[in-house]
Amino acid sequence: MGENIEIVKGASLWRDAWRRLRRNKLAMFGLGVIAFMIVAVIIGPAIIKWTTGYTYDFIPTDRDLVKAMPPSWRHLMGTDDAGRDIFARVLQGGRISLMVGVISTTVSLMIGVSYGATAGYLGGRIDNLMMRIVDILYSIPYILIVIVLLSVFGGPSTPEWIQWLSTTLGGAGNQGLSQIFLLFFALGLVSWLTMARVVRGQILSLKNQEFVLAAKATGVSTFGIIFRHLVPNALGPVIVYATLTVPSVMLTEAFLSYLGLGVQPPYASWGSLASDGVKNIAIFPWQLLFPGLTMALTLFSLNFLGDGLRDALDPQTRKF
Amino acid sequence: MKDPRRLSQFLVLMFCIGLLVNGCTSSANSRYFGKTVAPKDNILRYVSGSEPETLDPHISSGQPEARIYMAIYEGLVEYGPKDMQPIPAIAKSWEISSNVDEFVFHLRDNAKWSDGTAITANDFVYSFRRGFAADTASSSTELGFFIKYAEAFNGGQVFVKKGDSFLLAKDYGGEEQKPSTGIGPDTDFHKFVQSPIRLTLDGDEKKRAKQIDADPKLKAAVAGAEFVPVKAEDIGVEAIDNYTLRVTLRQPAPFFIGLLAHQFFRLVPKQAIDKWGKEWTRKEHIVTCGAFRIKEIRPYDALILEKDPNYWDAANVHLDGIAFYPVEDNATILNLYKGGSVDAFLNHTVLTSWIEQVRAFKDEYMNFPENSTAYYSMNVTRPPFNDPKVRKAFAMAVDNDALSNFRKITKPLYDLTPTGIFPEYDKARAKVSEEIRKERNIAPDVWAKYGKFDAERARKTLTEAGFPVQKSGDGWACPTFPTDKVSLMFNTNENNRSIAEFVQAQWRQNLGITVPLKSQEFKTFLKDRHEVQYDGLAQSLWSGDYMDPYTFVGLHYGYPNNGDAGFNDPKYNKMLDDANAELDPAKRYEMLARAEFYLMEQQPSIPLTINATNWMKKPYVKGMYPNPGTLLPWKFVYIEQDPAKWDKDVENVMAESDPQVEKQLQELTATQKTAK
Amino acid sequence: MLSFIIRRLLIIIPMALLVVTLTWALVRIAPGNFYSAEKKLPSAVEANIRKKYGLDKPWYTQYGMMMSNIVRGDFGDSLKYQGQSVNEIIRRHLPYSAVIGLLGYLLALAIGLTAGTVAALKQNSGFDYGSMSLAMLGLSVPNFVLGPILVLVFSFWLYLLPPGRWGGVSGIILPVITLSAIYAAYIARLTRAGMLEVMRSDYIRTARAKGLDEKTVLLRHAIRGGLIPVLSFTGPALAALLAGTVVVEKVFAIPGLGNIFIQAVLNRDEPLILGVVAFLSILIMIFNLIVDIAYGFLDPRIRYE
Repeated sequence: MGENIEIVKGASLWRDAWRRLRRNKLAMFGLGVIAFMIVAVIIGPAIIKWTTGYTYDFIPTDRDLVKAMPPSWRHLMGTDDAGRDIFARVLQGGRISLMVGVISTTVSLMIGVSYGATAGYLGGRIDNLMMRIVDILYSIPYILIVIVLLSVFGGPSTPEWIQWLSTTLGGAGNQGLSQIFLLFFALGLVSWLTMARVVRGQILSLKNQEFVLAAKATGVSTFGIIFRHLVPNALGPVIVYATLTVPSVMLTEAFLSYLGLGVQPPYASWGSLASDGVKNIAIFPWQLLFPGLTMALTLFSLNFLGDGLRDALDPQTRKF
Repeated sequence: MKDPRRLSQFLVLMFCIGLLVNGCTSSANSRYFGKTVAPKDNILRYVSGSEPETLDPHISSGQPEARIYMAIYEGLVEYGPKDMQPIPAIAKSWEISSNVDEFVFHLRDNAKWSDGTAITANDFVYSFRRGFAADTASSSTELGFFIKYAEAFNGGQVFVKKGDSFLLAKDYGGEEQKPSTGIGPDTDFHKFVQSPIRLTLDGDEKKRAKQIDADPKLKAAVAGAEFVPVKAEDIGVEAIDNYTLRVTLRQPAPFFIGLLAHQFFRLVPKQAIDKWGKEWTRKEHIVTCGAFRIKEIRPYDALILEKDPNYWDAANVHLDGIAFYPVEDNATILNLYKGGSVDAFLNHTVLTSWIEQVRAFKDEYMNFPENSTAYYSMNVTRPPFNDPKVRKAFAMAVDNDALSNFRKITKPLYDLTPTGIFPEYDKARAKVSEEIRKERNIAPDVWAKYGKFDAERARKTLTEAGFPVQKSGDGWACPTFPTDKVSLMFNTNENNRSIAEFVQAQWRQNLGITVPLKSQEFKTFLKDRHEVQYDGLAQSLWSGDYMDPYTFVGLHYGYPNNGDAGFNDPKYNKMLDDANAELDPAKRYEMLARAEFYLMEQQPSIPLTINATNWMKKPYVKGMYPNPGTLLPWKFVYIEQDPAKWDKDVENVMAESDPQVEKQLQELTATQKTAK
Repeated sequence: MLSFIIRRLLIIIPMALLVVTLTWALVRIAPGNFYSAEKKLPSAVEANIRKKYGLDKPWYTQYGMMMSNIVRGDFGDSLKYQGQSVNEIIRRHLPYSAVIGLLGYLLALAIGLTAGTVAALKQNSGFDYGSMSLAMLGLSVPNFVLGPILVLVFSFWLYLLPPGRWGGVSGIILPVITLSAIYAAYIARLTRAGMLEVMRSDYIRTARAKGLDEKTVLLRHAIRGGLIPVLSFTGPALAALLAGTVVVEKVFAIPGLGNIFIQAVLNRDEPLILGVVAFLSILIMIFNLIVDIAYGFLDPRIRYE
């Protein structure tokens, strides 16, 4: 009986949040853009191939076309140095970048929130031990972790499920993608550390508040207190931090790609397209402009959505 | 900052000012790339690439280091400024034995270290021995293995002494040595070093036992024999007197003098090394012998050199100093150059996409052929590339001309050895090719296309190899080819990546095969390639060690070899051995050309490009030439303050003669010419 | 409190050693050697090199020798940069990174805190949207893009500042701005979120109810709670910043520790990697300790047993 009431209440919280989110124009704009981006990167490459014949890795056979060309009707975003259509590459790169953002941030959220909240609430020795483990992991250079991860699990010894994931999400015949999937998890495994610290800091300041004491007094389990009472109250900074994690993992991916540890050519990501483009900023500005704008627009929207979500989910705002 | 609108107005304003200023300056100074003002202090500022690993020339084999070593250390000979052919340095002249396996060098008596002490032949003996010593652990030591017993000493091997005599190599499968003519006075050492090559065995007891067990004849012979370690004193290097040095090789090596300009053969200071041990390269301890000496060491920031008054030829050193800046990022290097904070920078730095723009600065951009090639090795030990037909098909499906067109400055490569670097060898190759054409009775027009891009034949060959290529829509398909078992592996950098993407597209267009690309972090890549642990193809780059085609033709010689294809063919090895034993240079080249042709028919690699020098210098930097290795003898370099005399249209810089450089070069080489 | 600090300080050394051990294991698992280069070495030459650097001994002997040296504070010599000790390299290059990192972070703090606080106070105002959009721009423009853009504008269009290399005040302006942009954006957003959280809490309402003026409420009460998320982020970020930032150092050719460390990893220069890692881990732990102490000062509700 009591459980039933909990569920109904829980559902109304989310419904409430959704109602409030819908009223936030900027957040809805953000949601719209992101939804559009997701649809665009899923069906866009096929449409481009169907209408113009260009793919992310199509290098023209006519050698006079193998060069950087400014935007035109044929190439809406111009071409890169090899004469490849940047529009097609941006769409394909979006798949990778969005996946990097989503998968790594999800991994980091799942581990970081539960770890940080547990440590913060339990406190004492356990908190100390858990946070020291975070310190240790934080001190180990992630590049080294990625190098080892890729050499141990890369190539033929890639775990089945990663291969499965990369062919399912990336389409068949994309052997080159399994490395990037490994990387998604590697990045998630690295970026949960700061998330855990943020959550823990938040929980530390919340756990002595009245509502927690009240929950304790009424005999709510530790698990219940942490995940039903503390975490929702800490959600504001967590969501904001999660929206900050997305750009940071995307950029880390670009840096790792630059070292040969990221996305395998001819695949690209927004980050790698931008880092290629920036070299030619003074001569072929469109090579930076379009990937950069697309990425910035997406991150912008994500941010507005994150803020809207924060406001919508804030248990305190319900009182007003 | 309070009002975002005002901030954006400010930014727009800045942008406009920027455009305006940019417009003015570029129109005022468009002849040159960015700020161009000759430094008044007569100190050249050169971007040398990655941070030098060490100032010990025996340890580092890198090119950025080589350029620095050329300023502070000298050897017997130096690279010529234009052609990299050896010119006299501390050796003022030399004599060569008739079968090119012994050399006598006459040293100048006025050469000095930076601490003022005289340089003698004993310094060379010390330097050579140190380079080969196991505990020096030099990585370029292989270059000197032509010197008799150097390899045995380096590997800690032993002679086999039986009674009063030593076992000889020729009795146990070694090469029969041609009787040497020998030059110079017949000292005791000379008698020893001229005697037939002794047999050497592994110094490690277990390995030696294995070696001995494998050969019954040897096993019988070593019974009761004594194993004598090869000592530093056994190496074929001898100081006949203070200013005469004799070097004896184990085999004829016509290119040996050219090799001696390499950093490995430059002098290191015994006095400093004995005193300071591994810390001898510190600023306060180091002793140098080149035209310049160390003034300041600021790691990762600058290495500042100043002219050394003790240098024997100080009168002909024009610069007062050189500042080497270690900068690695190509865009940053260009920025520094454009901003006028450096006068010249190292090779391979202008980004491909920038070349069109930079090329317009005709007085500055250096684009010349280089003794360096790029190719894909194929793992001949694993299917499907263990089939020469598959290898041929993949090679023929790559349009090298289009690739070079795309790369803008490179030239297409069709064999192992680049064309245009060794003119005599090019002639020999043409001659051999014509001979083979006649032997095989093939029409000249068909022959001209042999081994070059031919998509039709590539498809046919692949079909013959058991992977039928079919028409599929506009393109081709080869459904049976195991693309999941191959990949094209390369180490990550912009150039490798764009070549790989281009070649991948070619195979897709011409064969209907999409070979997955595998971009790897450098060290991971090296391990896989060196151990031939890759599936399919691996990117390779080879820069000639010396100015002789053998440095390229010998890539797949012996096993393991530097070709990294897992290729080993006794017939090819034998052809090369025979060629190098040949004393007539023209004949030797023809034999090498035949070996190269034979090898390319096996196609262990897909030739891609002959690389090109790709760097810039300000027009006021003179006496600096884009030679095939971009190895710059610094004492020829000078800064011209008078804009009227600045370099113009540097594409002619190799043909034009700079009176100052010519005179200097003539005076230097005169000593060797009169000796001949 | 004091015993808490002492306990945390004491544990730093064994933890750093643990980090070193784990890193050492990773370096050993990673393929390739410090001496591997484009040209393959003959096996005898390779054997000589391995012998010279003690790599021919069993791994536990090597580990033991290394650890006993490290415990004494001696990380040995760099393998790649011969004749230079690791301690010397760190000591020499740390200042470059530290100056840029510290200045960059201070600038970021100044901008981020102000913008974040004001944005939170004037939630949904023009300033809020404006500054948060700007912050988002800072986040979505990667520093490897921002750096070159600044160089283009300030060095080649305006000819105001040098495009790179260390030297004088003018040489560090662009790197510091480039570095601070992303952190300013982070801090601004975290501050705003934290402040919004705090402004609605009971104690602020209490403070307001007590009749304190808005300024006191803000500066004495709200900002302290609002800083918690920034603080959690600052600990590791500042430590990492002081020890160098690869991209900025690369773009501006600054001889900082960050780039040297990445190169060391790519070069498999084991002593140098371990030295920097040990140093960095100690730095991170000290900063995190400071952060934990600061939690207590900023928010009286946080207590350490």
